[in-house]
Amino acid sequence: MNKFYHTLKTIFLLGWSIFVVFPFLWALSTSFKDANAITSGATYIPWVDFEPSTQGWTSLFTTGSRGINIIGPFIDSAAVTLIASLVSLILGTLAAYGLSRFEYRLGFVKNADITFFFISQRIMPPIVLAIPFFLMLKELGALDTIFGLVLVYVALLLPIAVWVMTDFFAGIPKELDEMAMTDGCTPIGAFFRVILPNSVPGLVVAGMFCLIFGWNDFFFAFTLTFTETQLLPVSIVSLNSSVTPWWSLSAFALISVAPLALVAVVVERYMSRGTMSGAIR
Amino acid sequence: MAKIVLENLGHSYLPNPKGEHDFALKPVNLTWQDGKTYALLGPSGCGKTTMLNIISGLVPPSHGRLLFDDQDVTKVPTSARNIAQVFQFPVIYSTKTVRQNLAFPLECRGMAPAKIKQRVAEVATLLDLDYALDMPARKLSADQKQLISLGRGLVREDVSAILLDEPLTVIDPQMKFMLRRKLREINRQTGMTMILVTHDQSEAMSFADEIVVMKDGLLQQSGTPEELFSRPQNDFVGYFIGSPPMNMITLEPNLGLLCTAALNLTKPLPLESNATVYQMGIRPEHIVMAAKETNSIGMGKIIKIEHLGVDGIVTLELPTGVVIKAKTRKHTEMNVGNTMGISVCDEDALLYIDGTLSSSSR
Repeated sequence: MNKFYHTLKTIFLLGWSIFVVFPFLWALSTSFKDANAITSGATYIPWVDFEPSTQGWTSLFTTGSRGINIIGPFIDSAAVTLIASLVSLILGTLAAYGLSRFEYRLGFVKNADITFFFISQRIMPPIVLAIPFFLMLKELGALDTIFGLVLVYVALLLPIAVWVMTDFFAGIPKELDEMAMTDGCTPIGAFFRVILPNSVPGLVVAGMFCLIFGWNDFFFAFTLTFTETQLLPVSIVSLNSSVTPWWSLSAFALISVAPLALVAVVVERYMSRGTMSGAIR
Repeated sequence: MAKIVLENLGHSYLPNPKGEHDFALKPVNLTWQDGKTYALLGPSGCGKTTMLNIISGLVPPSHGRLLFDDQDVTKVPTSARNIAQVFQFPVIYSTKTVRQNLAFPLECRGMAPAKIKQRVAEVATLLDLDYALDMPARKLSADQKQLISLGRGLVREDVSAILLDEPLTVIDPQMKFMLRRKLREINRQTGMTMILVTHDQSEAMSFADEIVVMKDGLLQQSGTPEELFSRPQNDFVGYFIGSPPMNMITLEPNLGLLCTAALNLTKPLPLESNATVYQMGIRPEHIVMAAKETNSIGMGKIIKIEHLGVDGIVTLELPTGVVIKAKTRKHTEMNVGNTMGISVCDEDALLYIDGTLSSSSR
């Protein structure tokens, strides 16, 4: 029975893996095709079905009519995403710790309401925010700059960080803080020296969310930038012309997915390890 | 190390406590002497943990003052109080090794690394944790984790008291016994004041020089285990300390005496008393049973015998229907249905007036 279950599981997982990996394989093979190999029906095996060409990849690093240079947008995207994620994570973690450990009262507003206020920022569809953000950045003179995008992304990512970290801190027993304080830490010291080292899994999850949302955002990158600053999702769209360059698009898609995939591989072990188990009980 | 004095100390979690029942800890005066072991005993929710958290500074008291060696520390923050606390569940810094765990309180105080190393080694030896010093703390078993918690208190030489908040709850019974002995041993070796919160009377009795019994946020009695056992100040202490609890037999006033139809026992009726309930409290251990009626103060029929190894608990039904329990070692010679003669020393029968031990019985 157990063996049967094991076999069934293996078959299912294999099937699922193919399902997940296939689009990437398809993009990979497409990125090496030329126009002929794409338009004349489905082709699969390089050198047999079609003659591989590096045109898709080289076009991403040349400027002019034959392609675009994506190095600039890549750096812009990385800068905006990393800075915004880092700022959101720092502010969000501090806010979440405060909300999970201390009682606040502003009139009738209590901790739960403040947490909800943060999360409520994500209730409305992003398009509602487009015009206000545009006007605000215009006033600041921050349109079409990395600074302006970071500002907007922090506003969008902070709720996620606060949400994830509040939940995570709620799961850390209060006794750990109290222990640290009887051991001689100030409340701030307890946070930095005891709680934060224990929060790595939570920080990793929150950081992952921030990176994914920040890296993949198209809408604000599109509405708040013009020529000076361009992020990857926007430049991928600008590739589109009368003839869709499928080879370049595929190569581009793979390049823009790569950083997140790399991050996922690196942090995966932190997410599954559950470092908290054993701090109490 | 210090003498800890609670001066009219009370706490309410409500901003504006109205009556008595709004207090988690009703105002109390208590002194914890330096170097002794204490147990804070009471049912769940009686204010034990609140009192402990006030001493450690985690909860600022709403009323009264707290003194360490005659210095007012009511408003001193936890980190500056030199109190060590061990919680109900083992709390350890799971990302650190055992050594780093033990060194942490000293690092927080900025002690020199060489001195830290020496103290950690000393404490590890005291707790038999030498072999585990470089293991990740989270890999240890629950009782070892509790030892680490304790060790973090012991490494500091200036600790005023170690507060133990039901630290043995999650420990296996066998290890519980060992740990309790270890605690006593450490107390003797270091002279560190220890306050153990528990709801287990046998734990309290075997651990503490002095026991403080609490109920509903109110101090019931404090004294040595012997005092609590032989002279419970009220019916709650009589019920809570001892297993089975104290037998309480209702007495009726009659011609200047208090007596009961169940037993041939009388107590003088206190003068000018307008109390409503008079009771006789008799410890099950103080009831002597004999097959013959001679010298007995009453008869009882055995309705149940429980074997507890050496001792046995015999449940007796008196002629009036009152049921009492007796603890004896001769239970193996008795049978259910037997009628036994009961005798009790006069000084072991305590008079309770409205639930409080009468002054004549003290």
